Parts: sequence; structure tokens; C-alpha cells
Amino acid sequence: MPQVLPSFSSSVKLKYVKLGYQYLVNHILTFLLIPIMLGISIEILRSGPRETLTILNSLQFDFIQVLCSCFLIIFVATVYFMSKPRSIYLVDYTCYKPPVNCRVPFSTFMEHSRLILKENPKSVDFQMRILERSGLGEETCLPPAIHHIPPTPTMEAARGEAEMVIFSAIDDLMRNTCIKPKDIDILIVNCSLFSPTPSLSAMVVNKYKLRSNIKSFNLSGMGCSAGLISIDLAKDLLQVHPNSYALVISTEIITPNYYKGSEKAMLLPNCLFRMGSAAILLSNKRRDSRRAKYKLVHVVRTHKGSDDKAYKCVFEQEDLQGKVGINLSKDLMVIAGEALKSNITTIGPLVLPASEQLLFLFTLIGRKIFNPKWKPYIPDFKQAFEHFCIHAGGRAVIDELQKNLQLSAEHVEASRMTLHRFGNTSSSSLWYEISYIEAKGRMKKGDRVWQIAFGSGFKCNSAVWKCNRTIKTPAEGPWNDCMDRYPVHIPEIVKM
Amino acid sequence: MCARVYIYRCTGCTYNSTILTEKRMEPLMITLSFLSLLFFLCILYEIASQTRDRCCYLLHYECHKPSNDRKISTKFCGEIIMRNKNLGLQEHQFLLRAIVNSGIGEDTYGPRNIIEGRENSSILRDGILEMDEFFIQTLDQLFQKTSVSPQDIDVLVVNVALLAPIPSLTSRIINRYKMRHDIKTFNLTGMGCSASLISINLVENFFKSKKNAFAVVVTSESIAPNWYSGKDKSMILTNCLFRSGGCSILLTNNRAFKDRAKMRLNCLVRTHLGASDEAHTCCMQKEDDQGTLGFFLGKNLPKVATRAFAKNIAKLAPKVMPLTELIRYAALKFLKRAAILNLKAGIDHFCLHPGGTAVIEEIRKGLGLTENDVEPSRMTLHRFGNTSASSLWYVLGYMEAKKRLRKRDKVWMISFGSGFKCNSCVWEVVRDLADGNVWEETIAGYPLKTTANPYMQQYGWIYQEKSESYTGEEPKNRSV
Repeated sequence: MPQVLPSFSSSVKLKYVKLGYQYLVNHILTFLLIPIMLGISIEILRSGPRETLTILNSLQFDFIQVLCSCFLIIFVATVYFMSKPRSIYLVDYTCYKPPVNCRVPFSTFMEHSRLILKENPKSVDFQMRILERSGLGEETCLPPAIHHIPPTPTMEAARGEAEMVIFSAIDDLMRNTCIKPKDIDILIVNCSLFSPTPSLSAMVVNKYKLRSNIKSFNLSGMGCSAGLISIDLAKDLLQVHPNSYALVISTEIITPNYYKGSEKAMLLPNCLFRMGSAAILLSNKRRDSRRAKYKLVHVVRTHKGSDDKAYKCVFEQEDLQGKVGINLSKDLMVIAGEALKSNITTIGPLVLPASEQLLFLFTLIGRKIFNPKWKPYIPDFKQAFEHFCIHAGGRAVIDELQKNLQLSAEHVEASRMTLHRFGNTSSSSLWYEISYIEAKGRMKKGDRVWQIAFGSGFKCNSAVWKCNRTIKTPAEGPWNDCMDRYPVHIPEIVKM
Repeated sequence: MCARVYIYRCTGCTYNSTILTEKRMEPLMITLSFLSLLFFLCILYEIASQTRDRCCYLLHYECHKPSNDRKISTKFCGEIIMRNKNLGLQEHQFLLRAIVNSGIGEDTYGPRNIIEGRENSSILRDGILEMDEFFIQTLDQLFQKTSVSPQDIDVLVVNVALLAPIPSLTSRIINRYKMRHDIKTFNLTGMGCSASLISINLVENFFKSKKNAFAVVVTSESIAPNWYSGKDKSMILTNCLFRSGGCSILLTNNRAFKDRAKMRLNCLVRTHLGASDEAHTCCMQKEDDQGTLGFFLGKNLPKVATRAFAKNIAKLAPKVMPLTELIRYAALKFLKRAAILNLKAGIDHFCLHPGGTAVIEEIRKGLGLTENDVEPSRMTLHRFGNTSASSLWYVLGYMEAKKRLRKRDKVWMISFGSGFKCNSCVWEVVRDLADGNVWEETIAGYPLKTTANPYMQQYGWIYQEKSESYTGEEPKNRSV
């Protein structure tokens, strides 16, 4: 069933040739300076300490020259610091832990499925087969409205779910970071499948009585990668507004989206999407550089919408009976691979160490000039990052990315375990994954984390964070009651 | 003598050394002051280069004029209302009164499914089709008239409050125009009639951190899937007031395009009253008692709007009013005398959101404006109806078609939206503008002497009906 992905580096880009040339030229001074310094040190060592001392004593320090040099240094340093972009810190984040009564073990899901879809027994079978192979566990949660038979996806129920998931996450975040609602300057909420008027951002402003001059944005319809789009927007806004806090809420509201038809490709989201949300506090204040957990290094966004196949691979449409659902095409994995490749082409030069980049460059030149049959070199991203957070979109996505990036089982453990415990919570899944790594006590100061997410459109977005301080296993969090049971072995098929 | 020579020599030496030190001090002081000056000049240059190329220029905007087969006359509106069997006599009377007093004319546009009679059974495709027609017409024109290629666009912001398909409308546009893969896209929804200025705010912020960029803002509202089929009075009103329309806007911060630009953004102020429960719930999408989804407009909406407006003006006025006017106002306030801020001292043109005749009239009275000032908004309401977020751009188009916009004029755009928000911005006109745009064919007939609705005459009989004998049909023997 999984498609064969295109050979990873088959499309060779001249970007890398240019990069190599730029690298050499940019660092030419370093390359020249090292032999010069070596020469001087050898000379000094050869001439002996006494001669060195006499040379030093004979130097005349003209006061004006000293003053000029000091000024030059101060002045270059000031210009450098003024033109540097502001550092963006992730002060803290919280993930929503749904209550036990929202849990949907396999048996409950199948029973409900049989009752709701009783006209379509084939759909029920299909859902069971998907669930068996999905990699989900018994503790994932669906909102109360979907527990009803039949589900009651009213706007009021959807708002209820939104209030439940969003407000709990924000309450926890405010308690952990000790900030007051009045301190928040920027608010961004992203939720793909539910966009009421007034927006969810207005709902948050209303509940927490945020300031009237708050800059709020409500993003919608942007898929599972919308969380990173919100982070990117927050980053742009924080560059412009000094001394500010930005609150980013990533969530997905499941209530309005239960598909009751019989189209197979549209039944998949029923089986995979689960409720969850994350609240993230970003800051550009210098005093937060001590207490912040992470520092944002890069955000890279890639949009493949110009390609028709990529655009249509995740598509909301009506089936033949007129029921609305989301159609996931069979080419999804292939397109995800293409989008990832595009994203890596941009992010690779920014994060890979020079050695990897040069190796890639040499194999590229070799293939071009000497022998096209040389195997293309796939850069080793494990040298650039310590932790990987791959969006828990589904088992197939994690498998393919593990193969492509040549990651070990431990690298993708966070993603697999998040999929098992919480299901596909869309844009917030990346935060559950980081939370897993922290709960396992693996996050040390200086560790680099790579978050990758895919979304409808077709988009591939990635963010690179650097851990600011060693994080002790948090006392509270979505994983605190089950961490001792993880990691679990997830069988290929769970027989029901 | 030796002693004297000695002393002389010493003092001479000291004198010499003093002279020498003084002689050394002079060039030292000169160098010091020169270096400090250089230092401060360079800091200033750095600040200047950071703030330069951050201005937001409006290159061009294209408003949507749907095809003539989508026109909705008031007669047609009446027919739609009368065929809704959920509504009784009271509701019909209420609606007719609302339509008559709305100030909306005979040439406004509606979505195809409503014209085809399928208002209660719209499908997803209807909403998307409405958007497609709008995108194709306006974006094609926008790129053609400005000679900017879609591949040059760095940011795309789409705001349509009531429609959020998957993939988003931004992806739809990228697919159609084959835009670059590193484009930044933002799809804003649920932000009401003031979302257009929120999108401009997003672009303005983006321009401050990226040089020489192009941005496209696409603003519209989705009418097709949002027809209310119930009978709650506070929800049927939206059926009568909102019309199809949209606008695509091209912005840049590239100084090379300064001469081709139409306007430059001076300042933008956003006010959010969501903290107040009354403000938050005064306009809201929700289900009525029967479970039908609709858009609720509360009775306290005008009061909330006024509060939001006052707060917004309080922030905006100090940024745009000349100092003399501010001092005069402050002095009068200090002396506890009645004072009205004379907005015309700093603003030349008023672009008011044409939410309805009542809204425009209230603002006109509150701000002390003349009929001439609110004429663009009134005429836009008549010709295009309330097109929600994009309506401000039709008002701007009217002013431009009437050749009112001269170089260095200041234009003030005000909009309100659910939440409750009041957003406003001030544009400065860069050169004399005279493009007919979407008003080209009809501008000669404006301003109208009267916007009275002929509908009242036609359906006036309804007020003589008694509820017991009302059948929902026009009596055959009525006298005209």
C-alpha cells in the first residue's frame, strides 16, 4: 500500500553549487588568517621570550591611536547588535490533557461506528481495518458531542469543545509562567476546521479580558501545519514590536467534522483525528532569556500549491450523497515526500554543519562531472539535531519520514508515542511530542529540536528550536500519569 | 642665576610640558569629538536604514463587479422573502421595513444559488464558486494592470469570515496562479467586517521586517452558504443586508514603486472590546431556538459600536490631528467646556463602512460631518449593498472615480466587526487619482438625489393586512 517515494536527491539543484562557492568565499579570511597566525606563533616561539619582551617594550602607544581603535571596536559592536534580529524565546507551553470520560477505546469507537453507520456496513469494516493499523492507543479522546449517538455537531457544541480545550490550556500556561492576561500583546489562534464568528481569538479575548489594543489574528483552514504558521507570524510580529508577549493557541475542533457517509477516503479522518490543544507563550524580552525553555532559531515554510496534484491531495468536498468530508488522496505519501524535500533544500544550508554540506556538494559535483552513476549523498540530519518532532499525522507518515531521513527508532519515538496516546491532534501534536521528550528527561541545554509538520494545500513547514536550559521532568503535564508505561511497543495490527 | 636658569628651565620645562600637554590635548579633543560625532551619525544611519523601506504603499486595488445576471432587485428580494413559508405576517412586515430603510438599491449582486432559488439547500461548491468568480476577475486584472507577476508575491493574506474550506482559499489562489513555494500565506476567518484592515495590519508588520516585498490582500465575504432559513427576527436581517462583493489589493514596501503607488499607509489603530461580555455577544453566529444556524445581531449593537469607535478615535487622533487642533481640544477640555474634535483639520476624506443607512447617519451626526463627506458611503451602500469586509474599498473607489483624491490628501477608513472590534487607518494619497475602476460605467449617474426605495409602493399593501387573514400572498384586487 505505501507508495514508493521518489529517490531523495534525484533532482539536483544548482543552489548547492552556489552554496559551496559562497561558503568558500565567505570564509576565505578564516582560511587565510589561520596560516598567518600559525606563522606568527612559530616566529614568536622561535625568537624566544626575551626578544618578544624587548619588542613589546619598544611599542609606543599613541593615545590617539588607542582611542581610535577602541572607538572602532565599540562602534562596530553597536552596529552589529542593532542590526541583529531580536531573539525569540519560548517561555513555556502547555498541552491539554482531556478528561477520562472523553476517552474512546477501540471497543467504544467500533460500537458507536456500528450504530451511527448502520446503513453502511462496509464503512464500518473499513474503519475497523484502519483503526487496527493506525498506531492509535486506547486512551485517545473525542469531544462529548461525538460521543452522542448520533453525534450532535451543533455550533454550540463546537464552541463548548473549543472553550474546554483552549481555556484549560491557557489557564495552565498562565499559572506556570505567572503572567497576567493584561501582559499579552499578541494573540494568534489557529484552528482549521471550525471558524465561528466572532472568531476563537475574540472568544479568548472575551474570557480573559485581554487589552483592547491587542493584536489578534485568527488563522483557519491551513491544516495540520498551521501551528508552525502561527509561530512564524508571531516571530514576524515580535520583530516589529519590542518587549512583547505573544500567546499562540494551536488546536483542532473535532465536533463539526464527523463524516457520516460511505466514501472510504473520507472516513480516514474519523479514525485518526482526536481532540487536543496547545498554548504557547513567546517573548522577545531580554529578561526571559533566563527562564525560557527554548529559543527559536529558524522557521521555514514551503508551499506546493502550484502543483495541481499536491493541491488536491487533502480536499474537503461533498461525496455523491452530498455529505461533506475530507478526502485524503492515495498519493499523499509521495506528495509529502516531495514537499519535505523542498523544505529540506531550504533548511539544509541553514542547519547542517559545513562538513555535511561540503560532502553533499562534492558528490553533486562528482555526479555532474565524473560519473552520474555515483550514489547521491543524503545529508545526515542527525548531526544537526538531537531531537525530531514529526507531526503524528498517521503511522505511514512517521514510517516514511523515518526511512527518508534515516532516523533511528529512538528519534521517532516521541512521534509514535504521541500518536498512540493522543491520536492525531493536528497542529498541536508537535507540542505533545516535545512534551514527551521533556517528560523522559532527555532535553538538555543546547539540544536542537526540529519540528516538521505537513498540511493541506500542500504545505510542509518546519521549525528549529534550541533548548535554553536543561529541563527537568515536569511535575505536571499531559504525560505525567502514563510516562512510566512508555515507550510501548505498537504492533503492526491490533486484532479486535 | 643658575638657580634662576634652573627655575626658568624647570618652569620652562613645565611650561613646555604644559604646552606640550595642551598641544597634545587639542588634537585629542578634536579627535574625540570627531569620533563621537561619527559614532552618533552612524547610529542615526543605522536607525534610518531600519525604518526606511518599511512604508506600506498601496499600488492598486481591484473591486469585484459580478456579472449582470447576478443582480438582485428589491422585487426579487421581496419574492425570496415571500416564498419563505417559515415567516408569518409580522416577520414579512419587519423585513419589508428593514429593506426599505436600508438604503440599498436595485443593482446589488447576490450569489448564484440564491438567484437560482436554492438558498436553503446550498452546497460547498456554491460557496467556492462565488469565491472563484471573485478571484478570477479581480486577481487577473490586478496582476495585469500593475505588471507585477504572481511569482513576485511574498505574502498572501485572504480574509473571508464565513467560509473556511480545506485546503484554504490561500492555497486555492496559489494553485491557480502558480505562486512560489516560499510564499507566506495567512488565511484569516471569523474576524467580521473589519477583517480587511486586520489583513493590512498583518502586511504592514511583515513589511517592517522584510525589504522590497510585495503583498496581496484578498478580502471578501461568503454569502452563498450562509442564508438563514429560520424566523428569528434578529437573525433574518443579515439576509437582507449583505451582498456579494470583494476586493484584491496589491501592496509593497519597495521604494522604487513609490511613484506608481496610489496611497501610503500613515497609521493603523485596532481596538478590541472583546473583554466586555456585552460587546462580545452583540453580533454572533449561533443556532436559534429551532437549531437553525444564523447570524445574530443584537439590539445593543449601535451602542457597542459607538463605544468602540470612541476608543479608537482616542488612540488615532493624536497620531493624525495637527498639533494646533489637539491643543485647542485639550485646552477646552481642561476648562471643562464642551469640545468636539474637528476631524476635518487632519482628515480630508472619510471612508465609512456602509453597514446600513442608520449606521452612516449615526456616524455623520456623531462626527459632525456634512452630506458631502458621507456621500461615498451612502452611494456605495446603494449601488453595491453591504459587502462586509470589502465595502471600504468600494467607497474608496467611488472617491477616486469622482476625482476627489488629490496628492497629499488624507483618507480615513473605519470599519467595525464582530468580537467587537473597531479598526481604522489613515492613508495619505501619493498622487492625483482618477481611475474609474468598478464605478466607471455608473459614476456619471451619482450622486443620486434620492435613495428612497420604490419597494414600499409596491408592497405597501402588506401594512393593511390583518394577521388572521394573511395568506402570504398579494391580494389580486389591490389598488395601486
